[in-house]
Amino acid sequence: MLSVISYPVFVLSVLVSLVLSISLFPVGWYEFRPEWLGLIVFYWTFRAPAQFGILFAWCLGLLLDVLEATPLGVNALAMGVIAFLVFTIHQRLRMYPMPQQCLMVFLLLGINQMLVHFLKQMLGGEDAGFSYLWPALTSALVWPLFSILMDNINRKMG
Amino acid sequence: MPGLRLLLVIIVSVTLVVADQHYDRLTPVRSTLATGLTPVYWLGNAPYQFSDWVVSLFTTREDVKQENEDLKARLLILERRALKYAALASENNELRRLMNSSELLDDRVIVSQVVSVSPDPYSHEIIINKGRSDGLQVGQAILDAHGLMGQVVQTSQVTSRVLLVSDSSHAVPVEVVRNGLRAILLGTGDSATLDLVHVPDTADIREGDLLVSSGLGGRFPRGYPVAEVSLINKEPGEPFVSIQATPKAQLNQSRLVLVVFPPKDGVPALPTSNNNQAPAIDKVPGGQG
Repeated sequence: MLSVISYPVFVLSVLVSLVLSISLFPVGWYEFRPEWLGLIVFYWTFRAPAQFGILFAWCLGLLLDVLEATPLGVNALAMGVIAFLVFTIHQRLRMYPMPQQCLMVFLLLGINQMLVHFLKQMLGGEDAGFSYLWPALTSALVWPLFSILMDNINRKMG
Repeated sequence: MPGLRLLLVIIVSVTLVVADQHYDRLTPVRSTLATGLTPVYWLGNAPYQFSDWVVSLFTTREDVKQENEDLKARLLILERRALKYAALASENNELRRLMNSSELLDDRVIVSQVVSVSPDPYSHEIIINKGRSDGLQVGQAILDAHGLMGQVVQTSQVTSRVLLVSDSSHAVPVEVVRNGLRAILLGTGDSATLDLVHVPDTADIREGDLLVSSGLGGRFPRGYPVAEVSLINKEPGEPFVSIQATPKAQLNQSRLVLVVFPPKDGVPALPTSNNNQAPAIDKVPGGQG
């Protein structure tokens, strides 16, 4: 749990994650792009569950819907569910060592991706096999770096 | 308490999804949000512009001079062709007038830049830097220097979203240049192949045939190259041939695109009685195409 929350850092991190969601990844490797916004939702609900929760995650998901041109509400729903799950386990999550945290990131973001693809397929999208789980895996791999970096920035700015 | 919020979020989301899929009421909401997100699109494009700038820093004067000369030579060739084209166009218009048919040969276009590619690897969409403030509307055709790229599916104030012909939900009515055979060209989700569907077994079609937009859907202008037939596979016993085509436009590479504006209220008045009908047909909103 963070002692101080720096709101500028929060706003900046959201903005950067939105930009990263649509940019800065080599063509042909889009499949493996980490789910940046999912990571941001995970991080802030984990570190500051009293301030950021389901509704905030839902709003961010809605923005992602607009960016990705998915039907409004698909990503929003998935993000809300992630925030809820993180909220219910955040006390246990703090006790976990880093590898176990990574596993949780993989599981929860996997659930997020699964929900998104389930909804998209119900609405007439194409079936892409299990490759939609790649972002969950890459997100889990970047989680240690990501969380340490965010913690440091927060400590400096807060 | 969180459970209650989750329930609320789920209900609102499902309502939104259903409303967005089945009614058009949410289009303004989406386009307002997209306008608000313009800085994000902007920043997303910034690294590319920055790298372009860095590359331009390290170009030598000789290279620029060389390129300039090449471009001048190319311009000369194209201008000569345009001269010939102008004569042909006027002759064609004259002939059409004589035949009492009405059709505009030249469309109004504006140049636009691709600012972002859809982050979803399963949908083929790009975002261009022209929007409602430039007069863009949903349904307009997008071209690059080589052929048809796609159509505008959503507009915000300063950007628009373009669905490419290779998206699996996209279809274009086309015809074979050589003999006018009509068919529908579907996207496959792979940017290098398109499927030409419902072509009968006996149809006269060959590999290498150029497919141009037929304009029959009422959405795309007529006569722009779309794809080239690359593979024909005749299965004995199947009523239709399976045909693959390669898109002419460079869907993955083009940075500059052209937005085609439909002719304003049909054509300039011609002294014939049936010129009211032709534009009217053009305005029928096309199915998928």
